[in-house]
Amino acid sequence: MIRDGIIDALKLLGRLDTSVIDAALRSLWISTLAVTAASLAGVAIGLLLARKPVPGRAVLVVLFRIGMSVPTVLIGLLCYAILSRRGPFGQYELLYTTWAIVIGEFFLALPIVTTWTHGAIMRLDPRVSETAYTLGARPIQRTLTYLNEARLAIVLAVLTAFARCFTELGIAMMVGGNIRGRTRTLTTATALETAQGEFARGMAMSFVLLLLAMGVTLVIAWFSRSGQESAS
Amino acid sequence: MNTTHLTSSNDNIICTRNLAVTKGDQVICRAPDFTVSRGERIGIIGPNGSGKSTLFRVLAQLDCEFTGECQVTVEPRERVYVHQSPYLFSGSVLDNITYGLTARSIPQTQRRKMALQRLEQMEMADFANRNVKQLSGGEQRRVAIARACVLEPKLLLLDEPLADLDPAGVHAVQKTLAGLVNSTILITAPISLPFNFVQRCIELG
Repeated sequence: MIRDGIIDALKLLGRLDTSVIDAALRSLWISTLAVTAASLAGVAIGLLLARKPVPGRAVLVVLFRIGMSVPTVLIGLLCYAILSRRGPFGQYELLYTTWAIVIGEFFLALPIVTTWTHGAIMRLDPRVSETAYTLGARPIQRTLTYLNEARLAIVLAVLTAFARCFTELGIAMMVGGNIRGRTRTLTTATALETAQGEFARGMAMSFVLLLLAMGVTLVIAWFSRSGQESAS
Repeated sequence: MNTTHLTSSNDNIICTRNLAVTKGDQVICRAPDFTVSRGERIGIIGPNGSGKSTLFRVLAQLDCEFTGECQVTVEPRERVYVHQSPYLFSGSVLDNITYGLTARSIPQTQRRKMALQRLEQMEMADFANRNVKQLSGGEQRRVAIARACVLEPKLLLLDEPLADLDPAGVHAVQKTLAGLVNSTILITAPISLPFNFVQRCIELG
């Protein structure tokens, strides 16, 4: 069964099956948008928590750490509660749209980027800030210096967040609704096709997910290695 | 009492009285009372652990609590401190040398010209585009000193600038420092300096 599924999946991929490509492209742009927004916010929040005496900083850091391990179905459930018609943002009618998935994945990626950025800035050599200060750098130049010195960890955080968002199922299922041609992503399509007995199609979707996960892992490994080499 | 503040009453740019830094119950630096005039070149000597680096951190206003008085009349942006183990930012030698010039909003072409001049003085002109991670310890130290000197600060604090340097490196540093005619320079050294650069020494116990 698995062998037949793999062969059928390769055939589907080989002739660029529209339902597979459609779900793959949708997953890609949803995750890209969510991770881009989460990266902008997460890097800023991580930097702020690391460098400024924000009230309740220790509590916030712990909350973001906890946020990294929150199940995606729970994030999906909370997003459902706020986006549903009776929720505080119900008037915008975002539920069962790709925007709802983007919002959910934003909250999935945010704690990852924030926590890793915070950790990376905190681990910077104290001489970085002292040297920047004594050379007369203004606050904006100092901030850019911290980000530049911690860039490896920040890039790894963004890649990890992307891999997590691209392969998640709970949020896409809860707030996307798996609507064909509108909100169907690779993970929801895989679950649906397999449940319907379309094993080959499910396999093909999984292959695309696997290929991308492997690609991201390779990029992470390359960054880690180049970081170790430049540190040595 | 903790009073680093600015005054502009006379030619003395540093004036300390009963200056001491404690960590827990331990006194990690006790400096004799001293004054430094504009343009002077002073050696701060003393054995390891006598508090030379700590004294520099106080003078550079680097988050260092102290007791006694320490008056420095130079603006913080005009004081440059080079660590005993200097830190170079990721990037090229040129990126590092121009760092402080960027902070002073000097145009890019002028920044590059000033940086290359200083590198030439430091006998490192060929290193301009090299990544700092590829430099030896001595070369990194020379880049850090060049990065400080290119700013021609009013007060330059060099913490053991000659450690790890070969005779050629010592000569290059000496030549570069000699070019800073308007700067007040304080240099720490364990016992004495290998060149006749400083005008007088202050000894820490």
